[in-house]
Amino acid sequence: MTRAKLQSLSLLLVGVIAFGLPLVVRSPTYLHILVLLFLYAYLTTSWNLVGGFAGVLPLGHSAFVGIGAYTSTVLALQYGISPWLGMIVGGCLAVVVGVLIGLPTFKMRGAYFALATIAFAEGIRVMVENIEYLGPFKLNGPRGLQIPPLNTGLTNFMFAEKEPYYYIILVMLIAVLALTWFISRSKLGYYLSAGGEEPEAAMALGVNVARCKLIAMAMSSFLTALAGTFWAQFTLFIHPKSVMSLDVSFEIAFIALIGGRGSIAGPVLGAIILRPVSDLCRIYFGAKLPGLHLIIFGVLLILVMIFQPRGLQEPLTKLYHRFLDRMTTQPARAD
Amino acid sequence: MMMLDLKDLVKDFGGLRAVDSLNLSIEQGQILGLIGPNGAGKSTVFNCIAGVYPPTEGEIFFDAARINNVKPWDLCRQGLARTFQIVKPFTSKTVLYNVMVGSYVTTDKRSAAESKAVEALKALNLYEKKDVKAGNLTIADRKRLEIARALATDPKLLLLDEVMAGLRPTEVDEMVKIIRGLRDRGITIFIIEHIMRAIMALSDRVVVIHFGQKISEGPPKEVASDEKVIKAYLGEEYAVS
Repeated sequence: MTRAKLQSLSLLLVGVIAFGLPLVVRSPTYLHILVLLFLYAYLTTSWNLVGGFAGVLPLGHSAFVGIGAYTSTVLALQYGISPWLGMIVGGCLAVVVGVLIGLPTFKMRGAYFALATIAFAEGIRVMVENIEYLGPFKLNGPRGLQIPPLNTGLTNFMFAEKEPYYYIILVMLIAVLALTWFISRSKLGYYLSAGGEEPEAAMALGVNVARCKLIAMAMSSFLTALAGTFWAQFTLFIHPKSVMSLDVSFEIAFIALIGGRGSIAGPVLGAIILRPVSDLCRIYFGAKLPGLHLIIFGVLLILVMIFQPRGLQEPLTKLYHRFLDRMTTQPARAD
Repeated sequence: MMMLDLKDLVKDFGGLRAVDSLNLSIEQGQILGLIGPNGAGKSTVFNCIAGVYPPTEGEIFFDAARINNVKPWDLCRQGLARTFQIVKPFTSKTVLYNVMVGSYVTTDKRSAAESKAVEALKALNLYEKKDVKAGNLTIADRKRLEIARALATDPKLLLLDEVMAGLRPTEVDEMVKIIRGLRDRGITIFIIEHIMRAIMALSDRVVVIHFGQKISEGPPKEVASDEKVIKAYLGEEYAVS
């Protein structure tokens, strides 16, 4: 068996396991945890286009989750528009907001950029919290919006069971991973990495760094907003403190940094490691020690930054490649 | 035809005049050397030409077009490439990746970018190291990578900022050969260098600046025997040889 064959075979195996998991995991609680795991893997992969490849640390992606969730929900509640369509509208709206935030903030680097994105995201959350009606649109302030679970079915993006949600977010995750893979090998991917690492050198080589970052930001905002709609349809209740909370932005950053930003596998690995920690902590220690998961995240982040500054994907990828090498070279030695 | 033309170029940083009414031009296909003591304003001249700083006064013409306020990335697309005195490799990426960032300016296709990058690497004798991470290269290889990246953008004019500093004598000789090879391919070259042996061997003409002003210009031999140059830069011993 050749190396490339084995590699695609192992990817296929992971895919089959992912698709088959609901047949084994019957408990709604664990399915719920898995859906959130994939949701965060999806969010972090979308974030990674800016936070990983473009080399900045945006900490305000919760704004785009909120924009996606609110847009599709308002359109569905007030005008009866299918959330699938609202999802696209929300994505486009997030692109506009993302570019408007990106235009001034991409001039800054490091902590200044991170702080500015936090400020914008919090600003949007506080505004939504204090707005009952935005023009004709009812946002309902801090009480949020409830989606009555009346017409379940695919066109309404609403289901009584967890399984359909599981498959939808799984397909979304695979799509965004494929997109990331494609971009990382394209001119845009090269330009983003170059501009993130050495902007001056990149500019001298013909890279319009600011423009590349804006393109990445636009794509990232769009994809993140799609997850917002999914979130709204999954929980059927959104309010500013849930879908627009900074906790979401921070958890994305934790997952990315611990998993390995700028890599394709990093966000998925990070979500696999961190999401169960936070859910299990909430289930078992939620009453006595709320917030325990954040302390665990902090400790993990310190350890990872000391021992594997490029994230846990690096040693794991090495291990995977060694496994591939061993599996493919052994028959050759036997001859 | 003139590839580059500076007319009364002035660059001020606050109250400091880094470049003062500098006039110079390079003919297509020539190698022009720029020398001068530390702090004379050599790199500032490069930065003005490459679009990093807009000049305070004066005009810059590249290939007959005025480029005073053109951005670095647009200049690169028009065929003006440069290297940095302090090398700036993308350290976490391989040598080939580094050079492909340059070659992508000429194409959107990955395969075309890769073959152009390989060509540039071969011209710099770096092909064997194409899969090495740029952060693991020696200084000599980093300097060569810097040129390979610039070369991959298909330049008409190449600005080389001290690409031989820190190299061993044999490496300097190799670099001189490489740069001559680039000129033979029709690339016009503007080079800043402190190693006089290399400047003498390479340049068709040499410009000497001191405190931002041109103090001498001409063929290398003439410039090296110019008294003003010897006083300001070369030192008395150099006059003997």
